[in-house]
Amino acid sequence: VDGREIPLHEGDTVASAMYRAQIRVFNRSLKHHRPRGLYCGTGDCPNCLVTVDGVPGIRSCTEPAHDGMHIRREQGWPSTEFDLLRITDRMQELMPVGFYYKTFIKPRFAWETAEKVIRRATGVGTLPRDPTTSDEKPEALHMHTDVLVIGAGVAGLAAGAAAAGRGARVVVCDEGSIGAAVAPGPTLDRIRELEADLRALPGVTVLENHAAVGVYEGPMVPLVSRERLVQVHPGSVIVATGAAEAHGVFSGNDIPGVWLGRGAARMAGVHRVAPGRRAVVVVRTEEGLGHARTLAGSGVQVMVLADPPLAGGLPDGVKVLENAELVRAEGGKALTGVVVRQGGRERRIRCDALVLSLGHAPRDSLLRMAPTEPVVGAGDVILPGCSLEEAEASGKAAGLGEASTTEPRAAGTPHPHDDGYVCLCEDVGVKDLEKAWQEGYRSSEILKRYTTATMGPCQGAMCGQHLSCFARDHADVEDVPRAAARTTARPPARPATLETLAAAVHEVIEKHTALHRIHLASGAQMGRSGSWVRPFNYGDWREEYRAVRERVSVMDVGTLGKFLVAGRDGGALLDRIFPVRMKDLAPPHSRYMLALDEAGYVMDDGLICALDDGTHYLTSTSGGADRMEAWLRNWADRLELHAHIVNRTSELGSVLVAGPFARELLSLLCDDDISNEAFPYATSARITVSGIPCLALRVGFVGELAFELHHRRSQGPELWNALTEAGAPFGLMPHGLDALELLRLEKGHIYLGQDTLPDDTPYKLGLGFAVAMDKPDFVGRTALERISELPLERKLVGLEFAFGDSSLRGEPLQVGDRVVGRVTSCERSDSLNKVIGLGWLRAIDGAFPDRLTARGVAADVVPVPFYDPEGVSLRA
Amino acid sequence: VALRIPCPHCGLRPYTEFSFGGELRPIDASGAEGDFARVFLPENAAGPQQERWFHAMGCRRWLTITRDTTRNEVT
Repeated sequence: VDGREIPLHEGDTVASAMYRAQIRVFNRSLKHHRPRGLYCGTGDCPNCLVTVDGVPGIRSCTEPAHDGMHIRREQGWPSTEFDLLRITDRMQELMPVGFYYKTFIKPRFAWETAEKVIRRATGVGTLPRDPTTSDEKPEALHMHTDVLVIGAGVAGLAAGAAAAGRGARVVVCDEGSIGAAVAPGPTLDRIRELEADLRALPGVTVLENHAAVGVYEGPMVPLVSRERLVQVHPGSVIVATGAAEAHGVFSGNDIPGVWLGRGAARMAGVHRVAPGRRAVVVVRTEEGLGHARTLAGSGVQVMVLADPPLAGGLPDGVKVLENAELVRAEGGKALTGVVVRQGGRERRIRCDALVLSLGHAPRDSLLRMAPTEPVVGAGDVILPGCSLEEAEASGKAAGLGEASTTEPRAAGTPHPHDDGYVCLCEDVGVKDLEKAWQEGYRSSEILKRYTTATMGPCQGAMCGQHLSCFARDHADVEDVPRAAARTTARPPARPATLETLAAAVHEVIEKHTALHRIHLASGAQMGRSGSWVRPFNYGDWREEYRAVRERVSVMDVGTLGKFLVAGRDGGALLDRIFPVRMKDLAPPHSRYMLALDEAGYVMDDGLICALDDGTHYLTSTSGGADRMEAWLRNWADRLELHAHIVNRTSELGSVLVAGPFARELLSLLCDDDISNEAFPYATSARITVSGIPCLALRVGFVGELAFELHHRRSQGPELWNALTEAGAPFGLMPHGLDALELLRLEKGHIYLGQDTLPDDTPYKLGLGFAVAMDKPDFVGRTALERISELPLERKLVGLEFAFGDSSLRGEPLQVGDRVVGRVTSCERSDSLNKVIGLGWLRAIDGAFPDRLTARGVAADVVPVPFYDPEGVSLRA
Repeated sequence: VALRIPCPHCGLRPYTEFSFGGELRPIDASGAEGDFARVFLPENAAGPQQERWFHAMGCRRWLTITRDTTRNEVT
């Protein structure tokens, strides 16, 4: 603990080990930095939160301790024990409720500084810099069941057994180990019996150390443990989470040494550490009497404050003050005494422990979280303070599906006091609530929002009751139902790390082309591109680039979206939805094509090829294939056109053969006439390459003579090997995405997603040529018509930089100090001896600037393409 | 599972197999105003609403269902 070694005993929790080692101050409160010590002992309050092995916010009272744990207390500066920021407690008058909203707002500029200071002074714990579960990521799984029982106490176990007994599949979960939080006695004995019965039944799954964080629609209940996230999809849910002991509100109620009964009894009875020498025990429940006995039995000098008078017996030597009322607790870092009122007289009693058994606070947040879902309660959560028999009977009824009500029995109302902390998490006192009420915040919901009471780690487990009682006592009679309603319960009901909640979100399907192994064997640097794993380079991308420009190269473009559109209305469908001109698109021609959404924004681009059998072959970007298929199908369906849409993306492979010697290379492997006359640019042909039937497309993305060979996926390796072998005498090298980036940039071709924004129209991208506005209709036409009446406020332009490299990508484009755009692509081109790029620009007063800077580097707007503007090479 | 969708090809399936395609809006609405309304002015009804869903992890067909948005149930 804080660098000091402390001994462990069998069965210790982190808290009990710390307490035995004389640690009394566990924490500092959020705003006032008041010392806080163990209080509830049942995982319900915020007082014992510590950092365990770098993970903040661990409830030390429920965390089993083991050798080698590193515990750090979280709050306070320079330390939790000695906290200089305690001064804030003396300045409470200067920091009234809502002071965030009032104090630092004017002057506006002061807020920035003020915020830094406030952030330092408040907050809970420090987030770890690195992932906390270094080796194993938490796993995520789904579980389907008929009944989920949350909480494995007497009621929960009985409910699970009853449900399983009628043939239901049952999952029973508990946030700890079953029975671990129960002191030895009849309750624990009954739990052991019920547990054995339950485990013997078929169809039962027991999940210990799995905490339910919420109830969602479905219902769906996420359970979290350190190792995993379990999403349970039950038919119905039984909440048997029990009740905490009610929080006491009075002056000094947060001084270390003030305990809830169970916490003190556990410390004495289970961990054998006396929570004090002289204890005052306030007893208003049956249970409290038991706690008093436990404490007396472990050698604590006990004085019982009973109001109303007691029924049960107490051991000899226990003093009882009847009809005595607790007024306040006194002390600083430790309790020194209490003041009680008896018969109108106040007297001070010296003591070092004050133990409260005032009533019950049902842990009902899960029960209240989803009112329309099939969720019922069982045991203490709906019958606070019920007997063992009642709990078991109510569990059994719930398990048999006979529970008729989820409306909890009234939990007894706390006594009103005029001082003390209502909300321990957020340091909200009775006086704060009163001030807020005077300011007009007059219901529990808006008191919550204004004062932040119930918003802390305990999520209202301690203070929820008090907040609504406060509102009830202050509201006009007719307004009580509205004003005093409990605040809405929301997840998380129990703490969960972001890491657990995010379990498995990074596990995505990786797609490989048929050539994956060949790339690996060639030493390719592979990387993710969307869901595909593709070669970025094979060692030297600039050399690969030169192979394309000067010799011949191949690239695996099997990732392209590939579609066959056939059927009676296939052509009509494409004509109706795409902006591409189609009436003069006859076989064997192909054309660049945009896909627009209904707002006229560019969604995807690709190639449309008219085939000689009357069908059309479409390609789309690698990332857009799934969306393109759904989109085509939707429009075919909506327009009631008879079109067959076949997504051939994973069925076909594609290899790009590009470079001045591409035709020579193919001629070695192919007997078809592939001369420029027979097979010109922007056409397609069925050819056979090395015995493999291919649909070949003359394309122009890289700006050289190029053929895309679409073939059966299974024949990909054979085709690739034939090409690379035959190409060796030409100096063939395969190229990856790194080389492609420069190749396409030199041609001014855009990458959708990299160079574009979600609201880019064809006009903004300089792609107006791809839109046939003379067609009567296509998707997005109306929108484009309207947009084209407006001045262009932003556009994508070609850029030439004075110097620099690809690191300029992403930099703002500026005119003087004014940011007018952003660089979206940038690379140094050796063959052009320039640094070139693309970027978008905003118009200034209706005109686009043409001299800019990016990170201080001069950038001029220039026309694209940068390379071979007439397209001589690609038509060769 | 929160929502089960009756697919005419695959039967009653959990909504997680589908992708949402938005409200069903008439595509033959007349002229620019109709187009504008269809694209930019969804009804966002509280109650029964006709919607398009794509059975992405099933038959890969589109379907139109009526879903009560206040109860998240297909009616």
